[in-house]
Amino acid sequence: MKFIDTRQDPWRTLGGEDGPMPSPKPAPHQLLTLEQWHAVREHWPLGLPTGVKLPNHADVEVLEPDLPRLGLVALEFPKWTDGRAYSQARLLRARYRFGGEVRATGEVVVDMLPLLARTGFDAVVMRPGYRQEAADLALRVVPAHYQGDVSVRQPLFARAAT
Amino acid sequence: MYKYTDFDAQFVQARAAQFRDQLERNLSGELSDDEFRPLRLQNGWYVQRHAPMLRVAVPYGELSSTQLRMLARIAREFDRGYGHFTTRQNLQYNWIPLPRAADVMEALASVHMHGIQTSGNCIRNITSDALAGVAADEVVDPRPYCEILRQWSTLHPEFAFLPRKFKIAVTGAREDRAAIAWHDIGLHLQKNAAGEVGFKVLVGGGMGRTPIIGTVIREFLPWNQILVFIEAIVRVYNRYGRRDNMYKARIKILVKAEGQKFIDAVNTEYRDILERDLDGAAHIIPQAEFDRVARCFTVPASVQPRAPQPLPGDAPLALRRWFERNVHAHAIPGHAAVTLSLKRPAQAPGDATDQQMEQAADLADRFSAGELRVTHDQNLLLPWVKQSDLPALYEAARAAGFATPNIGLLTDMIACPGGDFCALANARSIPIAAAITERFSDLDEVFDIGDIDLHISGCINSCGHHHSGHIGILGVDKDGAEWYQVSLAGSDGSTISGPSVPGKVVGPSFAAEEVPDVIEALIDTYRGRRSGAERFIDTLRRVGHDPFKNAANGARSATRSPNATATA
Repeated sequence: MKFIDTRQDPWRTLGGEDGPMPSPKPAPHQLLTLEQWHAVREHWPLGLPTGVKLPNHADVEVLEPDLPRLGLVALEFPKWTDGRAYSQARLLRARYRFGGEVRATGEVVVDMLPLLARTGFDAVVMRPGYRQEAADLALRVVPAHYQGDVSVRQPLFARAAT
Repeated sequence: MYKYTDFDAQFVQARAAQFRDQLERNLSGELSDDEFRPLRLQNGWYVQRHAPMLRVAVPYGELSSTQLRMLARIAREFDRGYGHFTTRQNLQYNWIPLPRAADVMEALASVHMHGIQTSGNCIRNITSDALAGVAADEVVDPRPYCEILRQWSTLHPEFAFLPRKFKIAVTGAREDRAAIAWHDIGLHLQKNAAGEVGFKVLVGGGMGRTPIIGTVIREFLPWNQILVFIEAIVRVYNRYGRRDNMYKARIKILVKAEGQKFIDAVNTEYRDILERDLDGAAHIIPQAEFDRVARCFTVPASVQPRAPQPLPGDAPLALRRWFERNVHAHAIPGHAAVTLSLKRPAQAPGDATDQQMEQAADLADRFSAGELRVTHDQNLLLPWVKQSDLPALYEAARAAGFATPNIGLLTDMIACPGGDFCALANARSIPIAAAITERFSDLDEVFDIGDIDLHISGCINSCGHHHSGHIGILGVDKDGAEWYQVSLAGSDGSTISGPSVPGKVVGPSFAAEEVPDVIEALIDTYRGRRSGAERFIDTLRRVGHDPFKNAANGARSATRSPNATATA
């Protein structure tokens, strides 16, 4: 799991006084809203590192054709107890084979980390004020699970058999 | 019973260690109470009126005598000496101080128990038929499937924060003793014409503010597909279930709102998992895994078919009554399953003291291969009793206060802990249950009334299943006072009760002191109008609700004047 230090992070969003800029100019490491991406995708240069921020009520299916062009999909936890983005991440990885970064943003707290790691997230922007030792412990305290997930695809019964 | 592997044991210990870390971060102030709340809930810890409440999972109701003795020890050493068995086959403690929570979780883990997912917006403890594996009318033993489902749903990373709680019930007998149509998912195991095992799958049942009966989404799903199919249902729910209003967040609301669209979405998701996902078929259950789990649920070696031993014709009335109500038919000749009634005067329905738990564990060791069940209607059950032991068991059960011969009768009522303990409740349940028990203390009368389901909930969350009672009582709050709504003709889906249906409210709420009179008026109406051996529910359905409503409303005293009538 990559813990993002926002001061060092190359990805940036394109805001404006009236909300996100409607059609941003091509540049590397832009993290676009879904609307921005849909506005520019037709003429957006290939090979430019590009990210999209997907709200948790959006159907992840809408991004499927574009995933090979994206380096980052940022998913949102408006509240940490709203679990929709776990399903989005799982679909991005297991169904659409997305190989770029899947980043958790919003209200991301230490005790979510095992769930994030197991549903396909590989990067997190933690809510400020967390303690790294607590985060590391949360990631290792339950070392193995029954059901398969994105990181260990086989359930226990299939693992035991091999 | 399921035998824990090293993996299972280490898993529960790891979970206990995780909880200890979370608790310590909370007690040190690092983790706020608001943020600790969902974490403690997923380990069974609520905060109630007096202290935290701990709900311990009893997976599909199966309990060993060793486990029950540990539950007794925890009641004695950490609580005030008792616990409460629930309609979801769990056990609740009410007085354990939160700083001792981690010690209790470790004590539970030592006997392979825990509180994982007994609360919170996740897949809850799976419930089943209390007679699973021993019922004379069983088609398929549901326990191995329950255990496989338990493992699959435990700490599922994608489904830990669903819109709302999610309850699964499984039965494999002809008679539905698990009220499956009232669950988010109800599973009925059956065999097709070729003898293959599969599930009839219902989805979207539930009680609460909006009682809804589950919809059949599959008539026959091959057994080995069940994890994949449930994953599809829960994923559709996680993505599209409402989160804006907690009273509309259960899957029943989504199923009702979307109808066929929901069913189509689940079927598409199911196909996509199998056809499109990386290792999408990984959760199809292999025969070898099923066999491994099923081997844990064999008949105990001490249980061998024996010559049936009917009760002697000259047996005393008390013993005959106990046979009639508390002794159940068994799949193995010469054996019986026996309910230990937790419905008796001076104790709340479903409550047991530490001493009673010890006594029940002793009875299990002596008469039932060390095994017990927690029943959906809040009693304990011994699944492996020799018919030849029944008279001795009766004497021992009587000495321990478990032999009230009232199973399925009026005083075998279901009741939640209500406002005496529960912070959610609008009104108390226990004094209402006690008043009715006292009013109907004459056993001859209770036998004459016969089969009847009386269910009492202290609030609309419906833990006391008032919607499914032939008579349902619901506590409501009006201007800070306790009132009770009475409903008629609900059904939990049993043969006696008919197809599952919520009861209909008889009229404005009653004052607490009126409730026993109302129940008596309803019972008197039945006794006056029944034809032959007709049951309460059948008379009610035959003659209609009006005579019963009129009798109930005629029993008003405090609420007789229109000004004093609550309209909740």
